[in-house]
Amino acid sequence: MATVGSASLLVAFALAVYATLAAPFAGLRRDRRLTASAANAVIASFAATLVAAAALLIALARHDFSIGIVADTTSRSLPTGYVLSAFWASQPGSLLLWLTVLGGASTVVMLTNRHRNRELMPWVTAVLGGIMVFFSAMAAFVSPPFASTAGGTPANGFGLDPSLQNPYMVAHPPTLYMGYVSLAVPFAFAMAALVTGRTDARWLVAVRRWTLFSWTCLGVGMLLGAHWAYVEIGWGGYWAWDPVENAALMPWLAATAFLHSVMVQEKKGMLKVWNMVLVSIAFSLSLLGTFLTRSGVVNSIHAFVQSDVGIYLLGFIAVVIVLATALIIWRLPLLRSEHRLESIVSREATFLFNNLLLLALAFTILWGVLFPVLSEAVRDVRSTVSTPYYNFFLVAFGLPLLLLIGVGPLIAWRRASLGSLAKTFRWPAMSALAAAALLALLGLGSSPAGLAAISLCVFVTITIGLEFARGTAARRAISGGSWPGALVALIGRNRRRYGGYIVHLAIVLLVLGVTASGAYSTVREATLSPGDSMGVDGYTLTFLGFGKETGPNSTTTLARLDVSKGGSHVTTLSPGRRFYPVEGRVTNEVAIRTSVTGTDLYTILQAISADGRSVQIKTLVNPMVGLIWLAGAVFLLGALITIWPDPREARQIARRYAAALAREA
Amino acid sequence: MSSAAAAIAVALLVGAAVVAVAWPFLSPDRGRPEDRLSEADRTRIDLLERRDAAYAALRDLEQDHRTGKVTGEDYTAEREELRREAAAVLRMLDDLDSKHDTAHREA
Repeated sequence: MATVGSASLLVAFALAVYATLAAPFAGLRRDRRLTASAANAVIASFAATLVAAAALLIALARHDFSIGIVADTTSRSLPTGYVLSAFWASQPGSLLLWLTVLGGASTVVMLTNRHRNRELMPWVTAVLGGIMVFFSAMAAFVSPPFASTAGGTPANGFGLDPSLQNPYMVAHPPTLYMGYVSLAVPFAFAMAALVTGRTDARWLVAVRRWTLFSWTCLGVGMLLGAHWAYVEIGWGGYWAWDPVENAALMPWLAATAFLHSVMVQEKKGMLKVWNMVLVSIAFSLSLLGTFLTRSGVVNSIHAFVQSDVGIYLLGFIAVVIVLATALIIWRLPLLRSEHRLESIVSREATFLFNNLLLLALAFTILWGVLFPVLSEAVRDVRSTVSTPYYNFFLVAFGLPLLLLIGVGPLIAWRRASLGSLAKTFRWPAMSALAAAALLALLGLGSSPAGLAAISLCVFVTITIGLEFARGTAARRAISGGSWPGALVALIGRNRRRYGGYIVHLAIVLLVLGVTASGAYSTVREATLSPGDSMGVDGYTLTFLGFGKETGPNSTTTLARLDVSKGGSHVTTLSPGRRFYPVEGRVTNEVAIRTSVTGTDLYTILQAISADGRSVQIKTLVNPMVGLIWLAGAVFLLGALITIWPDPREARQIARRYAAALAREA
Repeated sequence: MSSAAAAIAVALLVGAAVVAVAWPFLSPDRGRPEDRLSEADRTRIDLLERRDAAYAALRDLEQDHRTGKVTGEDYTAEREELRREAAAVLRMLDDLDSKHDTAHREA
């Protein structure tokens, strides 16, 4: 298997090199056969990568411990699902996953553009091929997944990091990688548009759906990761501003900015340079995310992998930035705006402010991630940037962003008069102020930022509700029919707008969940012997005694806790400490009870006394944390509505080109 | 997997890759002629894009008016301005077509 896998990677590399060299010639000579040949090379390179990936999966399934990463990340007792997900638990395996996803995305681009974007495609092929060259070179020569186990084949493997033995770790890394990697597609189209001078809206139409796909995958991937941290890491939180979490958040913020500014270019012919810059930043940040995850330069709960690919990745990021900057500067004359900003009270202005805030947040986070590394490099002192730094900027930039989410949809394009603003924002503003007063009366003023965030959530919810109500009424006035029918027709006829509003609702749910669980949570710790009780936020937890649970590769000691409220039994929770003999590690296994309002009673068995009689229990009550996971579902729904293809748009573009070419005929 | 089987698998993979890359040169050319856009085409596409953007802006304005975001006077003024913009683009498209037709006749 190792021979076939290694040879396949060499074939994938050779084909990617051919595609990268042949495609520019094809573009310059307008040679359609050479273009098709380069595209086929990309597809064949993906096929060869798939063979390598299949070889690794077979080696994992067969417990072929002669291969280093199989021995390092699996064992015979590891459940089959985790044996297969160990594919991406190692550095070489995760690079192979990067290459596989990149090959898959590139293949879809080649197949769906065989008869479209003909001027752009040779250059798109060259850029995607170039990225494939880099990653296949890493997989074939620098960090080979089929390298032999040092010191001979062991009888059993060393097992998988217990924190990765969680169902979320089967889905989280591939989803996140699909997000990172597919950002290469918008970047490739942007570079192709610059090379060919075709900076009109066509490249935007070609990439908008890809950017939405990347952005959705990154968003869902981050939420899957947050849920994994919540249920697996066992400290009671879901986001720790860990550098690797930040690595996914930064490109997501840049992609969010792009998805908004692209509308300004389409509607007003403005922000053309800005959009090129945003696409380049988003892709560079996705590469940086890979660098942070794979180089081991940062301290992180995820930094389980260290190797020498970091320096190559850093060099590649530099090449990408230099290439993109040079092309943008070269094509500046073609990227002039067709209109000027007419008023700062307009929808395009709110999009511009939202872009600035999103980028400011992304670069603030970037500084927080890089500062410890730079500090160590320059002063030889490892500094840390802790949670208060990130929280400060999240509030400073996040609250105005939340306000803009509410303002944007209700403000007209070009300019809005004060009269219409007063009329439009009367009810949302009054509702937000009433909510703030009510929350203060209820004693929730202890966190001013939390109070402001919840009031703004009310403001945004009312604005979105009004948008749907007014839009549905207008639709019904035009076409008649029932209210639900008019609502469906409204969304169907303008999926981007109303899908976007649903995503905004998801952001509201997310903010509510994060604010409530962050600003108003309760924590208690106690040492309990059997029969002892502790109280937390109205709940009484009584330690009943120990339990035991045996898994295929672990044994768990459980602390059985009776949970009651007001004298009535609510549930029994059993947090535990799980021992993995092969890995030689012990992990906390938390127990959670979620109420109908999404509030979690979260219990952790922190320690068992040396005499085995008492336990140290940490209990948290996290209000409304369930809204965060609900936000994930709503986000996905909104994103899918937005991504769903609109044939009218494609027809309009096709008509433009047909009309232009028809004059020549 | 034996060495011989591995060698055969790799040979098959390389062979398939070579065929895939060479196929466009070996197969009969049934494709449509390459799209070639002249400078006039590009200008025309730009103008068509501006025309479509003006139409879209008018549609947005209608929607904003119906949902109460733009009041009566603002709406009338905006609509007139957008119509003027669309008309200007349409005139430029007509000029371009006339120039093209003249050049075509002279040729």
